[in-house]
Amino acid sequence: MEEKIEQLKAQAAEAIQHAAGSLTELDEIRVKFLGKKGAFTSILRGMGALAKEDRPKIGKIVNEAKAQIEALIAEKNEELRQRALAEKLASEKIDVTLPGRRQPLGHLHPLTLTLARIKDIFFRMGFSVEEGPEIEKDYFNFEALNLPKDHPARDMQDSFYITEDILMRSQTSPVQARTMQKNDPNTPIRMIAPGRVYRRDEYDATHSPMFTQVEGLVIDKGITMADLKGTLELFLHQIFSEDVKVRLRPSFFPFTEPSAEVDISCVMCHGKGCKVCKGTGWLEILGAGMVHPHVLEMSGYDPKVVSGFAFGMGVERIAMLSYGVDDLRLFYDNDMRFLRQF
Amino acid sequence: MQVSIKWLKDYIDFDWSAEELADRFTMAGVPVENVIRADEGLDHVVTGRIEEITPHPDSDHLQVCQMNVGGKERIQIITGAQNVAQGQVVPVAMVGAHLPNGMHIKKGKLRGLPSNGMLCSAGELHLDLTKLTEEEKDGIYILPSDTPVGVPAKDVLGLDDVVLEFELTANRGDCFSVLGLVREIAVLTGNKPKWPAIRCEEDDAAKTADLIQTGIEATDLCDRFSVRMVKNVKVAPSPEWMQQRLEGAGIRAINNVVDVTNFVMLELGQPMHAYDYDEITGHTLTARRAKAGENLHTLDDSSRVAKGEELVIADSEHPAGLAGIMGGLESEVTEKTTTVVFEAASFYGPSIRRTARACGLHSEASGRFERGVDVTNTPRALDRACQLLQEMGACTVTQGIVDCYPQPKAPVTIDFTAAQINGRLGTELPGSRMVEILTKLGFTIEETGEACYRATVPSWRNDCTYMEDLSEEIARIYGFDNIAGTTPFGRMMQGRQSARQTFIERIKQILAALGMTEELSFSFTSTELLDKLRVPQESELRRAIPIMNPLTDEAPLVRTCLLTSIMENAVRNFSRKNMDLRLFDVAPVFYPKQLPLTELPEEKTKLVGLITGRRQEIGWNQGNEQVDFYDMKGIVEELFARLGISKYTVEAGEHFALHPGKTALFKKGRETIAVVGELHPEAAENFGIKQKVYLFEMDVETLMKYTAKNFHFESLPKYPAIARDLAMLVDEEVAAADIERVITKHGGKNFAGVTLFDVYTGKQVAAGKKSLAFNLMFQSKDRTLTDEEADAAFQEILSAVEQQFHAELRA
Repeated sequence: MEEKIEQLKAQAAEAIQHAAGSLTELDEIRVKFLGKKGAFTSILRGMGALAKEDRPKIGKIVNEAKAQIEALIAEKNEELRQRALAEKLASEKIDVTLPGRRQPLGHLHPLTLTLARIKDIFFRMGFSVEEGPEIEKDYFNFEALNLPKDHPARDMQDSFYITEDILMRSQTSPVQARTMQKNDPNTPIRMIAPGRVYRRDEYDATHSPMFTQVEGLVIDKGITMADLKGTLELFLHQIFSEDVKVRLRPSFFPFTEPSAEVDISCVMCHGKGCKVCKGTGWLEILGAGMVHPHVLEMSGYDPKVVSGFAFGMGVERIAMLSYGVDDLRLFYDNDMRFLRQF
Repeated sequence: MQVSIKWLKDYIDFDWSAEELADRFTMAGVPVENVIRADEGLDHVVTGRIEEITPHPDSDHLQVCQMNVGGKERIQIITGAQNVAQGQVVPVAMVGAHLPNGMHIKKGKLRGLPSNGMLCSAGELHLDLTKLTEEEKDGIYILPSDTPVGVPAKDVLGLDDVVLEFELTANRGDCFSVLGLVREIAVLTGNKPKWPAIRCEEDDAAKTADLIQTGIEATDLCDRFSVRMVKNVKVAPSPEWMQQRLEGAGIRAINNVVDVTNFVMLELGQPMHAYDYDEITGHTLTARRAKAGENLHTLDDSSRVAKGEELVIADSEHPAGLAGIMGGLESEVTEKTTTVVFEAASFYGPSIRRTARACGLHSEASGRFERGVDVTNTPRALDRACQLLQEMGACTVTQGIVDCYPQPKAPVTIDFTAAQINGRLGTELPGSRMVEILTKLGFTIEETGEACYRATVPSWRNDCTYMEDLSEEIARIYGFDNIAGTTPFGRMMQGRQSARQTFIERIKQILAALGMTEELSFSFTSTELLDKLRVPQESELRRAIPIMNPLTDEAPLVRTCLLTSIMENAVRNFSRKNMDLRLFDVAPVFYPKQLPLTELPEEKTKLVGLITGRRQEIGWNQGNEQVDFYDMKGIVEELFARLGISKYTVEAGEHFALHPGKTALFKKGRETIAVVGELHPEAAENFGIKQKVYLFEMDVETLMKYTAKNFHFESLPKYPAIARDLAMLVDEEVAAADIERVITKHGGKNFAGVTLFDVYTGKQVAAGKKSLAFNLMFQSKDRTLTDEEADAAFQEILSAVEQQFHAELRA
């Protein structure tokens, strides 16, 4: 009896090992040996014919043998399942180097992106954004900024005039005067005024009849030139990088006294001198100064009580330096190949 | 303003190189734009003597020269020039030279013989060819035979001078002269200037006052009018040294009389004019306003008709010159002139500027008057001019100056304290340092109390009136670099922007997320563009504001419509073969309240979009369909959804720029909040566009009005929904939106939404009909709906649709 069981076990193992090529076949083997009509079942059924004392022993042997065969089947089953899975996966292989199906986002204009960075830096310093009309009165654009008619400094800006007294604003500075006049006298101000401005410049690599400026104005008691310098240093370090050197050069604007041109060490060559900085190592980046007492007075502020500083910068210039754009016209040509890079 | 270093060094000593001087000037607020070197590229060019010259054995035009360039060894140079001979001294470019024309000199061989340099022509050395004879221009530039050998060529060619070109700011009229610049150098170096002694000998017995009468009629335009006279004038070229100084300053030498006036203008900053006395009718000169219609005949031989506001210097009959701008042709000094009247005056800057601009005549003189001259300077200038001409032996000087100076200018004084200046600059300078700086700059300082001062402004500093002006003077000499940066104290302030600005940023972000790309366009337009876009003649958009002085004829108007701009950009992109576009633009347009403008126009911010070309990026697995109307409409719908604009209606409408059958109006009540459609085929043809273009246009303020102020989420349904499909045949004319509206209206309280998922015309559908299929959802907030409830609601909808649209239900 025991031999017969051993034999059956060996047969089953053999069948599982070699014969089972598929899950169906394996199942047939299982039925053949372990099924209701299977070999082992019939042995168990025939136990009645055995001596009573042999029954437990044989029963145990049969059950052990069944367990072993079941284990073998399970093992084979797993092997076959793995093989089938591997085959299925292999058959599903694709060329992953083919390009993906992109869902392209749109793009914000590089000047919008640059302006957003500028605004963000100033927001964090407590500056608010003010606005003014783009078609402006000569009074706000020039006169309220200490630039009377026939002042030679008006030559610095050739403007588009609509009438004798109305023009397309040539700078964002009129927003200074408008903001002061809107306020109660001597109310502290920390503002920037970004916006489009217009000058009668031929359209070339560095000039455009319309461009974007950001004006800044701070007025409070005890504001100094040192504050102007410190504020601009903070800004320029954030918009370019911490290692940028900042230099103030005396200059002249009718609305500030003292006035300064602000230079940074060239961001292209780090001050060594290159084509961009024309070999000087410095780049002119903005104009600034302490607000002229006339400008305060004309807008109802008292220069004996408060003082302030103002600055103005071109967004195009900052964007050109940030992104290495060498022709200003790219910003206004709106070529898709350019825009989609940002 | 440009001036040579040599001229500056005539009056003050300094050791700085030209570059360093330029830098010091710039950092002190006197900006130097350029350092111009005449000897640029002449390093390694020396003088050399041709010791031996032989024909090249293998060439019939080359010659072999053995050159003595000062060293022990002779060097061999092959030249093709024919004007060279033994014994001549010539400029030799040695190996390593990099000539002004870009040529690098290297060791070489010519037809087999080594050549170690090059003999140079005048052109190769960048000499001023206009001053050379034809002979000197041709071939090698032959130097005088006694020229020392082996010295730098620039020294013997007079090219060792360096010129500084200034870009002076409008306030610093005082720096428009050698005198003013030397004054600045004196402050920067601490060295003492060596001023020329100005003194003229009145060696003619005649009294100036007997010979000429002067007067000022327009006292508001002329402060001072001073003249001196010289007789026995011998008009001739001025001496070489003077010509060189003038050339260094960029002014052409003419004759001794004119050169002297220019020299004095450059030296002292006082513009001058010289008249031929015999051509002055009535021997009187009056500063007066021109009479309207009067003829102004200027030195450039052009005639202008006076408007009547120009300041002129007139004799008893005619204007003899445009004051401060240009002299008259009749009284010009010529070779025949024997008696000259020199004029030095102070004219009102703004008037000079206006006239100069109106006439398009900007001169060295007008530039100085515009910025203001030192009114005390006129007698000195006259003396200096006479002195210089006298020193040339070219005249005698009559007795006295005829000076008209009705209201002598009182000196300006400014009171200040050290605390005020420090408070403005953020510095801690002692008062004594301030006094030191201001004194060096020519201010007279009186101490009026403890660290309190009164400064008297020097006559040449018209730009200083306030304490603030003094703070700049002190800061620029102290050095802006020496001020340490701080940040402002004061109350804490919050950085804010208006809701409108935030709204615009949000629109831009949503559209970018929807695949739209932002463009920025100029605010200009033209009638031609409005025509192309089919803007009706009677439309308000035709009332665009004209610019008085447009840059080009193509952009003479301020835009009233943003669509013209986006169309221009699309056309530009098409011309560059960018055929797939998804663009938007947010920008103001300008509506005049009346024309011509008497008040500021209304500025309205518009949003426009444009799509055209492929729906998807080109790719191996991407469809190749073109975008259509519904892509554009979908973008607008999604934008509105994101902005929280809801409960709008959409209906077919009209817009001049759009296809009449493919135009949708998005409406809130009666107000149109967006127009979407296909570009009108006629407009497409006008713009030369061959593909379909879809546009939208909205007004930002209107959108903002309907945008949800607060957003609250809707809780997720707890109970399952029941779906029913509804397919029907209706007349083609029936608008889907109308059916949806009826479905919604009759949906009952558990109605949860409708989606149109199929539209079909063609086979299996009768002509003039279309098949529509809707998916309807029913859902209750507080329990699970039964099928019966859903069916009942569905039936309700069915009968309403059948009844209202004569819809035929499809299985």
